[in-house]
Amino acid sequence: MRLTLRIRRGLPMEARYEFFVVDMDGSSTLLDALEYLRTGHAPDLVYRHSCHHGSCGTCSVRVDGKERLACLLRLDSLDPRPDGVTNAAGTQTGDPLPITVEPLTVFEPLADLVINPGLLFRSQPERLSLLRESEPVAKENQTTSEVADHMQNPIPSYRFEDCIECGCCVSACPECASSGASTAVPAFMGPAALAALRRETINRPERREELMERAGLPDAVPACKRHLDCSRVCPRAVYPAKHIELLRREIAK
Amino acid sequence: MEGQEGLNRQVPVPICVPVDFGSILSAMDRYDVAIIGGGGTGAAAAYDLTLRGFKVALFERGELTSGTTGRHHGQLHSGARYALGDVNIARECMSETLILRRIAHDCIEYNQGLFLALNEEDCALTDPFVEACISAGIPAREIPVGEALSMEARINPKAERAVLVPDGTIDAYRLAMAFFASAKARGATIRHFSEVIGIDVVSGTVGSLLIHDLLNGREYRVQADAVINAAGPWSNRVAALAGIDVPVTAAAGSMVAVEGRIVNMVISRLRRPGDGDIVVPQRRLSIIGSTQQKTDNPDGLQPEREEVAFLLSAADELVPGFSLQPLRAAWSAARPLAGRTGDDGRAISRDIAIYDHGSLDGVKGLFSIIGGKATTLRIMGEKVADAVAGFLGVPVACSSADHALLPHSAYWRLP
Repeated sequence: MRLTLRIRRGLPMEARYEFFVVDMDGSSTLLDALEYLRTGHAPDLVYRHSCHHGSCGTCSVRVDGKERLACLLRLDSLDPRPDGVTNAAGTQTGDPLPITVEPLTVFEPLADLVINPGLLFRSQPERLSLLRESEPVAKENQTTSEVADHMQNPIPSYRFEDCIECGCCVSACPECASSGASTAVPAFMGPAALAALRRETINRPERREELMERAGLPDAVPACKRHLDCSRVCPRAVYPAKHIELLRREIAK
Repeated sequence: MEGQEGLNRQVPVPICVPVDFGSILSAMDRYDVAIIGGGGTGAAAAYDLTLRGFKVALFERGELTSGTTGRHHGQLHSGARYALGDVNIARECMSETLILRRIAHDCIEYNQGLFLALNEEDCALTDPFVEACISAGIPAREIPVGEALSMEARINPKAERAVLVPDGTIDAYRLAMAFFASAKARGATIRHFSEVIGIDVVSGTVGSLLIHDLLNGREYRVQADAVINAAGPWSNRVAALAGIDVPVTAAAGSMVAVEGRIVNMVISRLRRPGDGDIVVPQRRLSIIGSTQQKTDNPDGLQPEREEVAFLLSAADELVPGFSLQPLRAAWSAARPLAGRTGDDGRAISRDIAIYDHGSLDGVKGLFSIIGGKATTLRIMGEKVADAVAGFLGVPVACSSADHALLPHSAYWRLP
């Protein structure tokens, strides 16, 4: 299928948009298209990528204003709309509108589609427990009795770590955007960090008190104004807004 | 390394003289070792060399781990897969598995692995397979199929024999980034989106590198006493910059990921390594890998439709119903195999090869490292660092197995 990509290029201070036509199989992804351009017409196009299957979280970009993982976004899901321009004969030209591809907002832009993801990692609580052996533990919103039930049944071994640290939620959050999140001390630590914090309270109950204290500080849960954009854009269904609300309830207790 | 003569040498800056070659040199960044390629091997080499006290810079033309490293299917190899026939790499995988579990445990889901014999041929191979594993130091153990089913309810119930091995899952991106973070914390200069476009060889010795910064379009030079080519399947292109050739075969492999963690253990087909015989769980998704075919161009690889269909049906043999899970992604990566071949490259050993281009090609100070597996990144770093430390006359021993790595996030936290 034929698509026109309108890609933000250049250094932040002198950014411009360039148009590229790609003609690829619809099952190809936006990342495949970027790779195709880089290895052909645009060898100096820069973008972040690593795993190509939605696991590393590096290739997040904004597509027509919405945060997406380029590696999981199939071209045939983009559904280019006709531009609605009618020609002199009164019929639609049918030319598809270009798809706009831009870097994430909030993060420090470096060039083209590349941002520095440092903000996300600096916002996280320190010493997060990460991967480990599978073990039968609770889903984030399970009650204690449901957990006990799963412990007795052989199958479910849940893993907590769904967040791939892609930064989509931070880019989409109006509070992160307006609170100067790209400065050294942002006024809101952001949805990804709070979701990670809540996960850690479950993974490591011994850290619970310290973490809940952190969650109650002005730049944490109280700074969230419930826009819910974080949950809308999360590519891994972590639903950060849900975790923030659960933290809010626990703080209110 | 403090107090070490010969390291971090500064060329004296001449004062009040017209600009001459010497002052241009002094303005150039100088490193003991420059590494080309920001994958797992380059990351481990950078870390190892900073531990030994060298001043190190690493250049990667894209984002770190954007070549081969980030895309592998995530198997922490016990080495069992290679025990029959490729015993060196099998041994190395086993010892590295133990080390990585110690130094990088938060990049690993250590749930072990099962090899399943599904037909007569597989069954006949089972005893030699277990013996080969044990003689390579891999504690493989045949278990009753019923026991295997109690560990993993969704594996093929028609399996005839099952062998338990110490496999696991690695987070490919995070493991490499943990090495990068640890190297950066120890002072390594790591530059992404920085393509090496020239290697100057002066009187038979590697001199400066010409770097193209893709972020701002500028070019600059750095001086290095030794250069490591860790560009994986692109190694021959890098070596060509110095006018030499490195024998590397780029072997493209495709993989398919589906939604849902349908097993916790790594499930492998008990047969000689072939296409579509490993299912690896990664957090809440499952991956079937992989195919293999030789490619001339490791850039911009995409899987063929037939490969995807083949891999899904192969996965169904190991874990019935795999293909019914929602499809998440299909992608390809280029493995760098040391050596050249006319066929698909399965016959090439996964052994690690180091080329000292001083003795081989008359370019002193340039080293290439090729081959290996994602699991063996640390020892690849160790081996090439040994060679470079020997060349620089600073025989400090490797200590990368002795310290826990920083978490991957530290790379981006550090300024």
